[in-house]
Amino acid sequence: MITRRILLGTALALSLAGTAAAEYPDRSITLVIPFAAGGSTDVVGRIVAERMSQELGQQVVVQNVGGAGGSLGAQQVAQAEPDGYTILMGTVATHALNPLILKQKPYDPVADFAPVSLLVLVPNVLAVNPELPVNTVQELIDLAKKEPLAYASSGNGTPLHLSGELFKAMAGVQIDHIPYKGSGPALTDVLGNQVPIIFDNLPSASGHISSGKLRALGVTTAQRAPSFPDVPAISETLPGYETYSWNALFAPAGTPPEAIEALAAAAKATMADPAVAGRMAEFSATIVASTPAELAEHVKAEMAKWEPVVRDANVTME
Amino acid sequence: MDLLSNLALGFGVASSLQNLMFCLIGVLLGTLIGVLPGIGATATIAMLLPITFQLEPVSSLIMLAGIYYGAQYGGSTTAILINMPGESSSAVTAIDGYQMARQGRAGTALAVAALGSFFAGSVATFLVAIFAPPLTAIALKFGAAEYFSLMVMGLVMSVALAHGSVLKALAMVVLGLLLGMVGTDVYTGAPRFTMGMTQFADGLNFVAVAVGVFGIAEILRNLEDEHDRQVMTKNITRLFPSRDEFRQMVGPVLRGTAVGSVLGILPGGGAILAAFASYTVEKKLSKHPEEFGKGALAGVAGPESANNAGAQTSFIPLLTLGIPANPVMALMIGAMIIQGIVPGPNVVSEQPQLFWGIIASMWIGNLMLVVLNLPLIGLWVKLLTVPYFVLFPIIMAMCSIGVYSVNSNPYDLFAVAFFGLLGYVMSKLRCEPAPLLLGFVLGPLLEENLRRAMILSRGDPTTFVTRPISAGLLVLSLAVLVLVFLPQIRKRRDEVFTESDA
Repeated sequence: MITRRILLGTALALSLAGTAAAEYPDRSITLVIPFAAGGSTDVVGRIVAERMSQELGQQVVVQNVGGAGGSLGAQQVAQAEPDGYTILMGTVATHALNPLILKQKPYDPVADFAPVSLLVLVPNVLAVNPELPVNTVQELIDLAKKEPLAYASSGNGTPLHLSGELFKAMAGVQIDHIPYKGSGPALTDVLGNQVPIIFDNLPSASGHISSGKLRALGVTTAQRAPSFPDVPAISETLPGYETYSWNALFAPAGTPPEAIEALAAAAKATMADPAVAGRMAEFSATIVASTPAELAEHVKAEMAKWEPVVRDANVTME
Repeated sequence: MDLLSNLALGFGVASSLQNLMFCLIGVLLGTLIGVLPGIGATATIAMLLPITFQLEPVSSLIMLAGIYYGAQYGGSTTAILINMPGESSSAVTAIDGYQMARQGRAGTALAVAALGSFFAGSVATFLVAIFAPPLTAIALKFGAAEYFSLMVMGLVMSVALAHGSVLKALAMVVLGLLLGMVGTDVYTGAPRFTMGMTQFADGLNFVAVAVGVFGIAEILRNLEDEHDRQVMTKNITRLFPSRDEFRQMVGPVLRGTAVGSVLGILPGGGAILAAFASYTVEKKLSKHPEEFGKGALAGVAGPESANNAGAQTSFIPLLTLGIPANPVMALMIGAMIIQGIVPGPNVVSEQPQLFWGIIASMWIGNLMLVVLNLPLIGLWVKLLTVPYFVLFPIIMAMCSIGVYSVNSNPYDLFAVAFFGLLGYVMSKLRCEPAPLLLGFVLGPLLEENLRRAMILSRGDPTTFVTRPISAGLLVLSLAVLVLVFLPQIRKRRDEVFTESDA
């Protein structure tokens, strides 16, 4: 069978690469993805795990531990043995929003983790059904001041919900929030014009934007996204507006520095690979590939940025 | 005609040696995991995703699709043989299929399921090819109000699933609805009935509940009286349906295919409803409704056709819109993104060889499945002769692995144990698990859509009757309700003192 042949081939290639690698790692590494398979974090994680396996000379095995908006997987890694063999694909949800939103904190995003590398930034997008008579962010704000509107998001307390809440606060408008269980059903209802507006990850909405089934009003990053140069940034209308999703590798606190360095170096090499970079560009993700220290700063900055938004929007979960 | 040239293109792609082989690998794997209780298509596809990195996009999607509909075939095998539905849709097959097996008609039940599935799969694939775009437009017309009314209809139908006391069936539906409330409230983020455990924040796992109330409970019950099983294996006279049985299955298969094709395109719960809806229809139309629940052929043929048709048509929203109709489709989207294909309406025009190749492979895969499965029936039936002390531990181990593999959550295993005990108590009380399962699946959807519709209408409940599709579904539910209860009331009047609880 072909699958077996491929597996054997991969195993052989890995064992050859393994002889050239340093002491760490000497066995396979588990990359915990705190969401179900198939989502954007999962896709980024699998692409990265594939390439990092080659860099490290050991298989990086993806394990999906979904649940509680990413908290379960993050908690599992926070409590894992700090030996460098269990790492987490953290996101803005696990390392900024959930810790701010949850009343009972299952883990501390700073004290319980050793940052490895901030891999990518993923823009979000504000889009509307083409039947809604607005073409710009300003027109949407004007319309929202006149009549009641609603926007869909992938769920309560998700980065997309809070992107919407930040937008409402900065624009001074009231738009009803309709949470869904994930981005897919939210998109469906906006495509069917059941709900006119959506905040979504750019990668998941991009196909619908280029086909014209959705009208993108603005991306949430400070600058325009390279994959959609014609779509303005929301900050062009609302100066200072900036949100994005991000993916970063974390190890449990107390992981040996050599392991962190090896992982960070592998992550940097992975993101520098043109094939990976190409995939990420198709995905509208911007590559960062930071150092561990830069990721630590990033987490602090994100916590500081979201704290007032979460407080003002009055989003809490138990 | 465009369709012909498109289909020719599709078959050209799908019948290349490499793609034929991946299709075969897919359906084989799918059948295998379908037969292994508890291990579902979702977990398998998730595990195989990394392997698809190395493959051509078309080949990998053909293989993954094969796993999905192969599992639909295989899932009915365990439902019939050991009363253990692996997928939500085969829960219905278990009702009458397992009774048939107990009467020594396991081979017939399996053959009917395989042939019904093949027919439904072929027709639905054809529908996907012709009607994908217009059908998608219908699916998009379904908003929160329509889904709410559809779920109401589903719940009304669930009463018809009962073959004993209607009161007990209603009690089971309500218990199912309550169990479905466990987890985080979508709108407020408040945890409900989680007993403070974050592991239950996303609710109870469907596979855990289904394996518990059906499978584990059945094992416990079987351990009580061993002689039951000997009946099962001794009475097997023939494996294939007789001419008369073929005639009986034509109607149910045709109707099941129609119901399944329509409901399958609706994202979220549509495919699950299809099997339940088909069962209700067959029971209503049957000249011998009393046979349902005691091994009615139509109770296997209809729902099996419906769930397979639904499995095929659930590809429509995926392929034409890039919208997942169920968790497996969400994984397929992930697989497409990994391959650098942006799912969405452009796939049909930009990647015609991919789109039509997958459709053509679905038909080829269905053919492979029926060719594979018919000779295997004899082998599956032999499984029934495996002694308890060998079979049961294997089943328990498989179930545990399968349930754990979905989310790597040990609490799901506690749930299996708990629902196994609950299912056993229920069988002692003569309460049936199928209505409970339907309530469990539909409850959260019902609530979510009710509240969403109310937010969207800004608190105006007339939204359910002023929107035409929603109103139509509600009227239909009312009609079903009247149809179900009229004979019941009449019967009660006739035989006031007879206990109808059998």
